[in-house]
Amino acid sequence: MAWLELNQVNVGFGPQDARTEVLTDVNLQVEKNEFVAVIGFSGSGKSTLISALAGLTTPDSGTVSIGGKTVTEPGPDRGIMFQNYSLLPWLSVYSNIELAVRQVFLEMPKAERVDYIQHYIDMVNLTGAEWKKPHELSGGMRQRLSLARTLSMKPEVLLLDEPLSALDALTRAQLQDEIIRIWEHDRRTVVMITNDVDEAVVMADRIVALTPGPKATTGRSFPVTLDRPRERSTLNFNPQFTRLRNDVTRYMMDINQEAKELRVAESVQLPDCEPLDLSSRTSRMVVS
Amino acid sequence: MKYKIIKAIDLAGLTFLTPVVRLCYREEPRKQLKEIGRYIVIPVVAFSAFIFLWTVIAPRHKTKSGEVPTPFVVWDAADSIWKFHDREGDKEDAYGLSGKTRDEKLLIVEERLAQLAPLEELANSQVKQAEAARSEFVEEKVSPLLSKYEQLSQQFSAARNDREAGLQRDAALLTSGDLDRKNAYLAEVRLHADKTEDERQILKELKAEEDSIRADKFSDLVAALSVQTKIAEERQYLGKLAEHLGKSNRTARLEGQVSQLRADQTAFVSAKGEEAFRLAKRIVKHEERIKKTSESTYAKPWTLPMQIYRSLACVFVGFFIGSAIAIPVGVLCGLSSTFMAAMTPFIALFKPVSPIVWLPIALIIVGGFIPDPDKHWLIDLLASLPLIGWMKINPAFIASAVTVALCSLWATMVNTALGVASIEKDHINVARVLRLGFWDRLVKIVIPSALPLIFAGLRISLGVGWMVLVAAELLSSSEGIGKFVWDQFNNGASDSFAKMMVVVFVVGFVGLLLDRIMIVFQRLVSFDDAPAAM
Repeated sequence: MAWLELNQVNVGFGPQDARTEVLTDVNLQVEKNEFVAVIGFSGSGKSTLISALAGLTTPDSGTVSIGGKTVTEPGPDRGIMFQNYSLLPWLSVYSNIELAVRQVFLEMPKAERVDYIQHYIDMVNLTGAEWKKPHELSGGMRQRLSLARTLSMKPEVLLLDEPLSALDALTRAQLQDEIIRIWEHDRRTVVMITNDVDEAVVMADRIVALTPGPKATTGRSFPVTLDRPRERSTLNFNPQFTRLRNDVTRYMMDINQEAKELRVAESVQLPDCEPLDLSSRTSRMVVS
Repeated sequence: MKYKIIKAIDLAGLTFLTPVVRLCYREEPRKQLKEIGRYIVIPVVAFSAFIFLWTVIAPRHKTKSGEVPTPFVVWDAADSIWKFHDREGDKEDAYGLSGKTRDEKLLIVEERLAQLAPLEELANSQVKQAEAARSEFVEEKVSPLLSKYEQLSQQFSAARNDREAGLQRDAALLTSGDLDRKNAYLAEVRLHADKTEDERQILKELKAEEDSIRADKFSDLVAALSVQTKIAEERQYLGKLAEHLGKSNRTARLEGQVSQLRADQTAFVSAKGEEAFRLAKRIVKHEERIKKTSESTYAKPWTLPMQIYRSLACVFVGFFIGSAIAIPVGVLCGLSSTFMAAMTPFIALFKPVSPIVWLPIALIIVGGFIPDPDKHWLIDLLASLPLIGWMKINPAFIASAVTVALCSLWATMVNTALGVASIEKDHINVARVLRLGFWDRLVKIVIPSALPLIFAGLRISLGVGWMVLVAAELLSSSEGIGKFVWDQFNNGASDSFAKMMVVVFVVGFVGLLLDRIMIVFQRLVSFDDAPAAM
């Protein structure tokens, strides 16, 4: 049994008679300290998947378990990093991290806490911006702060929900490297949601495809066997990298095509019957 | 430095000063001058135009309380309000003075009084002169009118008598029947009546003309009278001041009472029997009187600055009561849609109720709690407090504050509920991931995120409260700005109207100041860069 497991997970929204199934029969196994990238098209329920992992959404059926325990509620052991940072705008960089640290490490003495928080600020290169408010930071800095806050909780699992999709390409590459650097330094289980094949190939140990929604489910899994550390500058000339990237891209295009065809084929068979002529019936009634 | 100043200006909401600062630092002078033109010169011009129009239009409207005062008259009224306050303060000081300072002060006052005497005589004679000049001028203008009136009225009455005699003669010639002639006669009588009416009208117009000449203001006389009034006022004030420095002074009174006490005490030593009893009783009485006198203060009447202070205290008391109710209820409404559903009918029903309705109810209810204000512990407690003790807080004050609270709490309540309900889902998710408890979630996530809207609500509430308060004080006769207006309205002195206009500006200015303060608070708690609405 894998360390982190999604077993036949179903999630849907809306009332009984107009239900939208977002995820159906999702199965995912992640080993301890494995870096898994879940790749999917927009609207395929990637965020729902990560919510289910974090415990923010309870699956309709199926189970999510981590380390053999079933997930029933959110908790700091599963550090989630949201797509739109979700920093508290009235708190400074330091206080944003402090809020998490105080809550998770209740007994940490003050002096130690100050050093601890500073350590994480330094780790994500936000030194000097401790007392700035989130609105004074750039997008990249905000996401770094979000990362620092998540890491400071010392989560067993790191859940990254498209963490870099709101950033420009350069900042994005830089932050990818930074996340990998931190992860290599302090390995833990990571599930990252992305819509960028390159990002997935560069960062992950394994890529799992999510079929287009609604009723998204897990598709093929691609192991990434590239050696670490992966040098971005030379990666483009690595035939293994190019092949894998092409494989994933092609597969994604295919399942997208498939999904489109499926949707067209899903025509409703009309019943073969003749409608009743109500007018003649009423006239008869009048006569009688 | 420059950016610090600009930031401070921005925080205070005085953005119109920004171009001035920038200009001082020689930053794009052309642009700054344009900005100054738009945000400083234009408003000043507009205000001047308003003052000009006011000056021109005001005297054209005559009311029962005299002409509508012009800006200058209003300014004078403001000055006299301030002077009154100043002088009452002087009297209060004078009452408490003792020893050398008191003697010195008394000397100064008496000197000034001596200086004033010839001035007053001069003013009186000038008034007399002006009156004489005026009556001469008026007589000169009126006498031809009068003689014309006399002449015309004689002429008219003669003509009327002639006409009536003629008509009577004609009437004698009338025979019964003969409708045509009778109708012609009737027409003649009608003509006579019309003519008489016309003549009466002419006389009336002449009389009106005379009246208007007599009523005409004579600028010399007005000026002389105002000088005379000013001097008389000052003399009266100095007289009172001398009295409070002299025989009415606390120390002077105490001295007198103490010497009486001493006399009785020495007499008591040698007295016995009936006499001793009588003296002992008197000594006790003296002691009581001395105690009272040493605690006594000058019975200062309310002046507008004091009333403004009391109004401000009242509005803040009301505002705090209102906020203390509105914020918790608003938070609960925002947290629970069930609670919100329960509160909605109350909010919808009570929000539009006018202060005029709340006030009598508040007066009765507060009166129920405090049946005897002179002996109630709350009133005694409030009277013993520093800063507000002197304000003589009474049930009317409390009722006004409660009215302010009842009218102003809705904006805060609704805004708080909105702020709490519209908290971002991401922030809630953060709280859930961190497993924050209810209180931590409330204090660390919900309230901070709702603060900007709470403060927006508080700002509206304070504005509403200030408006409501003046009406409440006017109705409840609670000393304050509203009471001042009501007193002036009932007073009917020549400058009452102008004093009421002064209050318009005072209330406006204080309201503006309160709003500015709230803007600063609102900006301090806002975490995004969005500037608060002006």
